Amino acid sequence: MLRVSLRNVLANKLRLVLTIAAVTVGVAFVSGTFVLSDTMTRAFDQLYSGLTAGTDVVVRGQSAYSTDVTTQEQPPPLDEDLVEVVAQVPGVAAAQGGVTGFALILDKDGVPIQPGGAPTLGASVGGDDQLAGGFTFREGQAPAGLGEIAIDAGSAAEAGYQVGDTVDVVLQDSRSSFTLVGIVGFGDTDSLAGATLAGFDLPTAQQLLGKVGLVDEIEVRADDGVTAQALRADVGAVLPTGAEALTGQQVADEGSAAVRDAMSVFSQVLLVFAGVSVLVGSFVIWNTFSVLVAQRRREVALLRAVGATRRQVLTGIMVEAGVIGLVSAGVGLGTGVGLAVGIRSLLKLIGIEVPATSTTIEPRTIVAALLVGVVITMAAALVPAWAASRVAPMEALRDVVPTAGDIRPARQIAGWVLLAAGLAGLVGCALAGGQLAWTGVATLTAFAGLVTAGPSLARGTARLADHGRRGNGWRMAARNIARSSRRSAATALALTIGLAVVCAVAVTASSMKASVADSVTGGNRSDFALRPAGAGSGVSPAAADLVRGLDEVDTVVELRYTGAQVGGQNATVVGVDPSGLDDVVDLGPMDGSLAAFTPGTMMLRAETAEALGARVGNPVQITFPETGVQTVTLAGTFANDTLLESNYLITLADFQDNVTSRLDGAVLLTVRDGVAPAVAERSLSQALAEYPNVTISDPAELTADAQASVDQMLGLVTALLLLAVVVAVLGIVNTLVLSVVERTRALGLMRAVGATRRQVRTLVRRESVLMSLLGAVTGIGLGTVSGIALSRALVDEGVTRLAVPSGTLAAYLAVAALVGVLAAIGPARRASRVDVLRAVTTE
Amino acid sequence: MTAQPIQSRADSHLLDRQAESAVGSGGSASCSALAARVQGATRTYGVGAATVVALDDVTVGFVSGEFTAIMGPSGSGKSTLMHCMTGLDTLTSGQAFIGETDLASLSDRELTVLRRDRLGFVFQAFNLLPTLTAEENITLPADLAGRTVHRGWFHTIVSTLGLQERLTHRPAQLSGGQQQRTAVARALVSRPEVVFADEPTGALDSKASAELLRFLRSVVDDLGQTVVVVTHDPAAAAYADRVVFLVDGAVVEELADPTRDSVLETMKRLGS
Repeated sequence: MLRVSLRNVLANKLRLVLTIAAVTVGVAFVSGTFVLSDTMTRAFDQLYSGLTAGTDVVVRGQSAYSTDVTTQEQPPPLDEDLVEVVAQVPGVAAAQGGVTGFALILDKDGVPIQPGGAPTLGASVGGDDQLAGGFTFREGQAPAGLGEIAIDAGSAAEAGYQVGDTVDVVLQDSRSSFTLVGIVGFGDTDSLAGATLAGFDLPTAQQLLGKVGLVDEIEVRADDGVTAQALRADVGAVLPTGAEALTGQQVADEGSAAVRDAMSVFSQVLLVFAGVSVLVGSFVIWNTFSVLVAQRRREVALLRAVGATRRQVLTGIMVEAGVIGLVSAGVGLGTGVGLAVGIRSLLKLIGIEVPATSTTIEPRTIVAALLVGVVITMAAALVPAWAASRVAPMEALRDVVPTAGDIRPARQIAGWVLLAAGLAGLVGCALAGGQLAWTGVATLTAFAGLVTAGPSLARGTARLADHGRRGNGWRMAARNIARSSRRSAATALALTIGLAVVCAVAVTASSMKASVADSVTGGNRSDFALRPAGAGSGVSPAAADLVRGLDEVDTVVELRYTGAQVGGQNATVVGVDPSGLDDVVDLGPMDGSLAAFTPGTMMLRAETAEALGARVGNPVQITFPETGVQTVTLAGTFANDTLLESNYLITLADFQDNVTSRLDGAVLLTVRDGVAPAVAERSLSQALAEYPNVTISDPAELTADAQASVDQMLGLVTALLLLAVVVAVLGIVNTLVLSVVERTRALGLMRAVGATRRQVRTLVRRESVLMSLLGAVTGIGLGTVSGIALSRALVDEGVTRLAVPSGTLAAYLAVAALVGVLAAIGPARRASRVDVLRAVTTE
Repeated sequence: MTAQPIQSRADSHLLDRQAESAVGSGGSASCSALAARVQGATRTYGVGAATVVALDDVTVGFVSGEFTAIMGPSGSGKSTLMHCMTGLDTLTSGQAFIGETDLASLSDRELTVLRRDRLGFVFQAFNLLPTLTAEENITLPADLAGRTVHRGWFHTIVSTLGLQERLTHRPAQLSGGQQQRTAVARALVSRPEVVFADEPTGALDSKASAELLRFLRSVVDDLGQTVVVVTHDPAAAAYADRVVFLVDGAVVEELADPTRDSVLETMKRLGS
C-alpha cells in the first residue's frame, strides 16, 4: 500500500510541484519568521552579555514602574557623589560613573547619521579598561577633555571618518565640533544594535548631555574572590532610596528579556500573515485531494475489489498527503531560511536595523515547519481520504465515472443562513462602531457561510454566465462549473480568503489615511511644524529658541513627550506651554477651560477622561518613571484629534520637573500676519542651518508625510498578504490541470466532432476566469464589508473617518480576471493538445 | 500455448487454506464439493414501479476444480450473479456461500479479507493500477495482506503466461492481451479457492482470447483450480467443463462438456 501511495505521489509531476508549492509558502513563512526572530534574539543576547562582560554590579536610579525598552525612558540620574560612596564599599575594586543622552553625529556634508528606529546616543567612554566589557577602542584612544570625541565604528564607516578628522555633533543644547580621537567597536559588531554613539570623557559628557553633577549609572568591578551577588548586597546596603544595585548578569538578562518581548510581538504579527497563507494553502490541498479522489474512484474501487480494506485506502491517501507534506516542509524550511534573510533586508528598508550574526535555526523551527507542512496537509486531505474509503468496490466494474453527489439542501440553507448572519453582524458592527471582537466573529461566520454555501454560489455564477450564443465558450464553461460546483467553489474560496484579507486591510488603511488628514488639518492652526528628521528621537530646544528670535515668527510652542502611567495604564504624556497653545491648535474644548490649564493641572481628551472616570476639578495621578506618582488637577477636557498626538496634556513646567530629557518631540509655530509663507520658510531654514536634523513642514506636508507612512505600512502588509493570493492562484492552476486530465475523453470527443484547438483553449480559459471572478467578487465583497466594520471598530484608536478605496478594489477585480486568464495558459494548452484518437479510445 | 506442468500442489506452503476444499490433484472434475454456491438468490434494484429484478430465485453451485462458464444475453443477470457471489454486491434475499462461509454473515472488513485471501478476480477492463508495474500489480493482494508471495509459484505463473519480459512495465506499456494475462496472474498468485472472471476476453482479439482461455483451462486441469467465467462468447464458453445459461435472472439450462456448436445451438434455442 505504501508503494501505491508513493507511486501516486510521483505519478503527476506538475500536480506534485503545484501542490507542494501551495504548502511550501506557508511553511516558509512560519519557519522564516522563527529563524529571523531567533537570529535577532541571539544577536541581542550576545550584544548585552558582551557589554556587561567586565561589570559585576551596576548601580542606577530606580524607575517608578518597570518601563519597557520600546519607550526608551531612562531611569532618573544619580548624584555623582554616590560614585565615591560605592567605591569605598569593601570588595569593590573599581567603580565608575557613566552618563547617556542624546547626541546626533553629522557626516562630512553635515547630514545627520540617523539610523531608522535605533537611538542616537551620547555617552561617557573610557576610564577603567576592564569595566568596558565588549566595548573596545579599535583605533586611537579614549577622548579626554572638551574638544575630543570617539565614535562607533559603524558611524565612522558610514561617514568615512578617520582619527584626526573634525566631527560635528548636534547635542541637546547646541551644535559643536570635536576632534575624532578614537573609533570604538562592540566585540565583533560595529554598532550597538544599529544605534550611533558619540563618546566623551565623563566631565565633558555630563556637560554636553545636560547632566552636570549627575551620573546615570555606576559600574562596579569586584575584588578577586568576591562574587557579584555578594557585592551587590554590600553595595545595595549603602545606597540611598531611589537607587538600586543589580549584577551585570541581571542587567544583561533584563536587556535580553526586553528584546525577547519586542521580538515576540514582531513574530506574532508575521505569524498572522503566515497563518493566512497556511489557511489558503490548506484549501488548495483539500481541493487537490478531493479532485484526486474523484479521479481515482475506479482505482480505489479496484483496490477494494482485490482486497484492500477501507482503512488501507484511507491510510494510503493519508500517507500520500504525509509525503507531500513532508517534502513541502523540507522545501519550506529551506525557503524560510532564505526568506529570513530577505525579511531582514526588508526591515532595513523600512528603517529597522538588525544586528548581524550567523543564522540561527532552533529545533523549535524545524518542529514548527514539520508540523505546519505535514499536519496541515494531512488534515486538509482527511475528508477527501475518508470519502475515498467509502468508494464501493462495485465501482471498479462500472464503466461510467460517477460525478460528485448532489449538494444536500440542508447544507445549502445552513450556508446561506451563516452568510446572512455574518453579513448582518458586520453591518451591525459597522453601525455600532468599536466592536473589534464582534467584527472578527462576524467575518469568520460570513466566511464559514461562504464555505458551506460555496457550491450553490458556484452554480449561481454558472447560471449568470450561461447565456449567449450556443457553442459560445461561456455557455460550455458555465455548464462545466455547475457540474463540478464543489470543486469550483473550493478553488475560488482559496482566492476569496486572500483577497478578503487584502481588501479589508486596504479599506482600513484608506480610512486611516483619511483620518490622519483630518487630525492634521482639522484642529490645526499652526503654519509650520519643526520635527526631527527620519526616525530621530527629538529636536534640540536650542532650535526652538533660534526660531523664537525670528521676526517672521509669532508664536512658538514646544511639545515634549514621555511615557508615564495614568490610572495604571501606559500613556504618552505631552508637555506643552499653555500660553500660545490656542494659537497653534484648536483643541475643541469641552468641559473646563484652557485658561485653567496651569502648572499643577492637566487636560484630557473627553473620551479618556470618561474612561478614567475623571471630572474637571478632580485629582488625577500620573506616575513618571523618574519621579514617581504626581497628583494634578483636571483642568479641562478636549474633543479634537490634533497634531499634539496625545490624549494627556501637562504643562511644560511640570514636564521639566519630572523628566530629565529636554528634547522637543516637535515644535509648532505661527508666522506673523502679512508674512508670506514662502518668505517665512526661507528664513526658518536659514536660521536652522546649524540643525540639519530638523525638518520644516507646512500642514500639507505633514498630511502627506503621515499618509506616506500609512501607505508604506499598507504596501508592506499587502506584499506579505499577496503571497497568500499567489498560493490561491497556484490552486486555480492545479484544479484546471487536474480537470483537464480528468476530462481527456470529453475534450478529445469535442475535438473529434469538430471543436478547434482554439475553441478548447477558450473553454478552459473561460472556466478559469469564472472561478477567479467568483473568488474575487466574494473575496472583495467580504473584505470590503469587514474592512468597513474594522475601520468603525477602530474609531477609538483614531480612525474617525471611513473611506472605501473603490479604485483599488476595482483594480483587484480586474487583476483577478487577468489572473484567471494567466492561470489557464498552461492547462488550456494541455487541453488543446489532447490526442483525439487516444482520447476517444482510451479506457 | 500448451498447458505446461505447473508446480505440484504438494510443494506449495500456501495451500493450507485450499486443503479444506478437498480438490484432488491432477485436475479431476469428479469431486463434488462446491467451491461456491447461491441458494434462492434474488437481487432487485429500485423501488415501486421502477423495480428491476436482476436475479430471480437462483440456486446454483460451482464445483471445486471445475471450469464453469455463465452465459446469457445482455441484462440476463450474469454479472449480477457474479457480483453477489463475490460479496461485491449484496443479495436482496437468499444466500451466497464461498466454501461454507455465508457472505451475509460477514462485515465489510471480513468481506474484503475474503476477497483478498480466498478469491481471485479478472475483469473485462481496468484490471490494473496504472501507477504500478506489472509485477507490483500481480503481488498487490499479497502486499495488501502484508504477505510475501511464494517466489517459485510466482515465477511459474509468470513464465507460463509469458510475462517475464514485461514485469517492470507499467500497464500503459502493455498490450491488451498482456494486461489481461497480468490480471490473471494476479488472480492466481495467491492460489485462491475460486477465480472469478467477468468477460475476461471482452476487449481482446481472437488470438489473445484463445491464449488466455487455454491458460485458464490448464490451471483447472493441472492444478484443480476452480474457475468461473462470465461470458457471452460461445467460443469462450466452449473451454469450460460446464455452462450455466441465465435468462431474465433465472437459470434456464445447464450444459456439460460444451462445444462451440452446442453452446450456439442452446443460445439459439433459448433466444427464440
